[in-house]
Amino acid sequence: MRTWRHRRRLTKGIEKENDKDESIESLFQQLNASNDFNVITCQFEKCSLSIGYFSTLIDSEILHRDVLPFLKGLDVISSLPTLLPIEEVILTSDTSIIKDNLLKGYTLIFDVNNLNQFGLVKSDVDKTRQVSLPEVEFSVVGPKESFVESLDTNINLVRKRLPIPEFVVKELTVGKLSKTRVSVLYIQGIANKENVSTVIQRLSDLDFDQITDSSIITQLIQDNQNSPFPQLIDSERPDRIASAIGEGKIAILVDGAPHGLIGPTTIFEFFSAFEDYFLNWLVASFFRLVRFFAVLFSILATPIYVAVLTYHYELIPKDMVATLVTSRSAIPLPPILEALVLELAIELLREAGARLPTKVGQTIGIVGGIVIGTASVEAGLTSNVLLIIVALAALASFTTPVYQMGNTIRLIRFPFLLMAHYMGFLGVAISFCYLLIHLLRLTSLGRPFLEPFYPPRVQDFKDSLIRLPFSLQSKRPIQEQTEDTMRYSASKAKKNVDP
Amino acid sequence: MEEKHKQISPFLVFFLVHSVQMGVGVLGFQRTIMKSAGNDAWMAVIAAGILMNAIIMVMYLLLNKQQKDLIDIHKDLFGKWIGGIFSLIWIIHWLMIGLIALRSYIEIVQVWVFPLINIIMFSIIILSLVYYTVTGGFRVVAGISFLGVVIPFYIFLTFFFPIEYANFRNLLPIWNHSVKELSVATKDMMLGYLGFSTLLMYYPYIKNPKKSQKWAHLGNFLTLGIYLFILIITIAFFSEEQVSKQIWATLSMWKIVELPFVERFEYIGITSWILIILPNVCLSVWAATKGVQKMFNFKPQKVILFTLLILLCSTVAIQGRESIEKLNQYMSILGLFLIFLYVPFLTILSFFITKIRKEKSGNG
Repeated sequence: MRTWRHRRRLTKGIEKENDKDESIESLFQQLNASNDFNVITCQFEKCSLSIGYFSTLIDSEILHRDVLPFLKGLDVISSLPTLLPIEEVILTSDTSIIKDNLLKGYTLIFDVNNLNQFGLVKSDVDKTRQVSLPEVEFSVVGPKESFVESLDTNINLVRKRLPIPEFVVKELTVGKLSKTRVSVLYIQGIANKENVSTVIQRLSDLDFDQITDSSIITQLIQDNQNSPFPQLIDSERPDRIASAIGEGKIAILVDGAPHGLIGPTTIFEFFSAFEDYFLNWLVASFFRLVRFFAVLFSILATPIYVAVLTYHYELIPKDMVATLVTSRSAIPLPPILEALVLELAIELLREAGARLPTKVGQTIGIVGGIVIGTASVEAGLTSNVLLIIVALAALASFTTPVYQMGNTIRLIRFPFLLMAHYMGFLGVAISFCYLLIHLLRLTSLGRPFLEPFYPPRVQDFKDSLIRLPFSLQSKRPIQEQTEDTMRYSASKAKKNVDP
Repeated sequence: MEEKHKQISPFLVFFLVHSVQMGVGVLGFQRTIMKSAGNDAWMAVIAAGILMNAIIMVMYLLLNKQQKDLIDIHKDLFGKWIGGIFSLIWIIHWLMIGLIALRSYIEIVQVWVFPLINIIMFSIIILSLVYYTVTGGFRVVAGISFLGVVIPFYIFLTFFFPIEYANFRNLLPIWNHSVKELSVATKDMMLGYLGFSTLLMYYPYIKNPKKSQKWAHLGNFLTLGIYLFILIITIAFFSEEQVSKQIWATLSMWKIVELPFVERFEYIGITSWILIILPNVCLSVWAATKGVQKMFNFKPQKVILFTLLILLCSTVAIQGRESIEKLNQYMSILGLFLIFLYVPFLTILSFFITKIRKEKSGNG
């Protein structure tokens, strides 16, 4: 809290300085406070030039190869653009432009005797990692490119997949301290104008100091910030983003973030992996259903165990009683404590695995999973039936293709557990009602989150819990309220069907 | 008419009408109607359903003409004060529908699942669910009505289990009861169909409301179908004498459901029933609060809180089978009076008054 206040004050201070029209001398004074700001003055035949730059921001090779050798023939600054073999050269006399661009990695060139015109030459160093394999959304089939931290590379990855002039990239700057470039991507003529203006409006209304990642943007602009459910999809796959844009959705890319955001979306999209589109529709639909039931299982299994063993043992069929009784007869803890201990143990394992480097993480898995699990059963602390249930529930929660949704599911089972202990099945049912109403109330960029289930839209079921063949997907989802509703003409689509 | 983004598609009226009719009644309506009509009670179910369809038709006549909700119609026809009193009667009627659904459900939970349940705590938890729904606006209320029909539908599959032990000859001989007995049963059956009068409040929230009429009728027919289905199975499964001893015959039928992984299905049935009760309470509370809010211009959240507080106090105050039964009686008298006398009366009156007004304005 304290640091945050401190930052606020700092940003206010910077604003004040922006307001007054400062001279070039005071700017230099301010910049000279940093050791990596260099100014060189050299005497040439026709004029004496000063060159200023941040040595840490520019590529010195560009400076030596493409700038310095050409300066000899310079007589006035205004001829810089024609003289240098660099495409981005700005001529200006505005100090604030100079300051902004110097901080972006431009080199400042000016005549010491003529302070009316300044040249800025783009010479920033491009230190980003190479495009690599997707790690969170890996797929066996399909493209294997994922986003990196550079916005330009990311936009390039998307634009390559959508080489049409209607594809629009709108750039905004967000964050008082970080000055992060945020791009809104959509296709004009397909994306709903209201959605586009909602996104741009929310982004430009943002008043925040540092945007370090796209996930911060999600948290700041989503419709209900107090919901555990993410309301924008987070994806690291350029192909997924491109196909979402083609569907009429809007994507947000943030400089410095290797993940893009997609909206408006529905809860069912969080259970669809992009790989589903590369597989046969039957297989893909089966996988999606498996994932959906896995999530239901993950939320409900342990609470139902607790409810049955605390209140409703009449429910257990007689053949199953023996199994349950033998596994629980020696256990001193009531079911809720037993379940909570095991659930928390799994949470610990997950948290430890996530914080440690991969190689140590594997050891944690073995130690936690095998040693603690079997030992606690042998010690008579937990029943092995519950151990199976909890392990399966944990496994099931990891099947969600979008990482954030997996976390949400791990969180919401705890209220279910407590309610199951308090009121048995009724508690589970009541928590389930709460969940349903919460989902009913949620919206993603103003569009219903539970669509196509509610509002019921039969047409949109084709790509939700199941994925029907592409020949039946000639229409874009109603959810996006697209301007052009057809993906392709349905009459020609008949050719797509196997003869 | 309401703003466009608050409106719902006409076919959702199907679920709205059906969900508010389905309540605790389904679990124990058999005893009341079979008391007078015996094995011919199924005729009463059909007769009551068809009569309700007629009333839905009359309601649509009124609403299509007026294009506004009941409170505004009252204000328009009777002025602020007299209209306000009529509106208040309706609001009380809707509140009673919600109250009966809630209180009867709590009673069932008390009798069948948790005899020692803390009624105050339990009502607070359910009413907080209602609060969360109703504050979300009509879109969310309609949503929970839709989900409250679709999700628990699997329950009705379990009624195929008793068929194994059913004896359909119990239905014979047909028509061995007098018309009088049947009409008494029909009157008793009407209580199971009440609640769709909330239509008078949510009509402005429907897109192309005229198109929704057929969906309202279909919703009513679905209720009829479910009642009929359950009643026929009950008649075939129990003898008449057995039914007369079962307050909740439907629940008793669940006792024989046996699946490889679960026994005593009534526990699951009763807990799933909360999803059927919830829309019932939500929709009636929504209609009542909307009415109060329109009449007095209070803040919606305060009205909802106040209404729920009244519901809470009444649920706690009503104790025991007799008082619940009494509440049911009052409510069915009030409901039948409102629906069969007041709605047609209002419709005729509105036609006359608009005609007179037209003539006046034409002359002037």
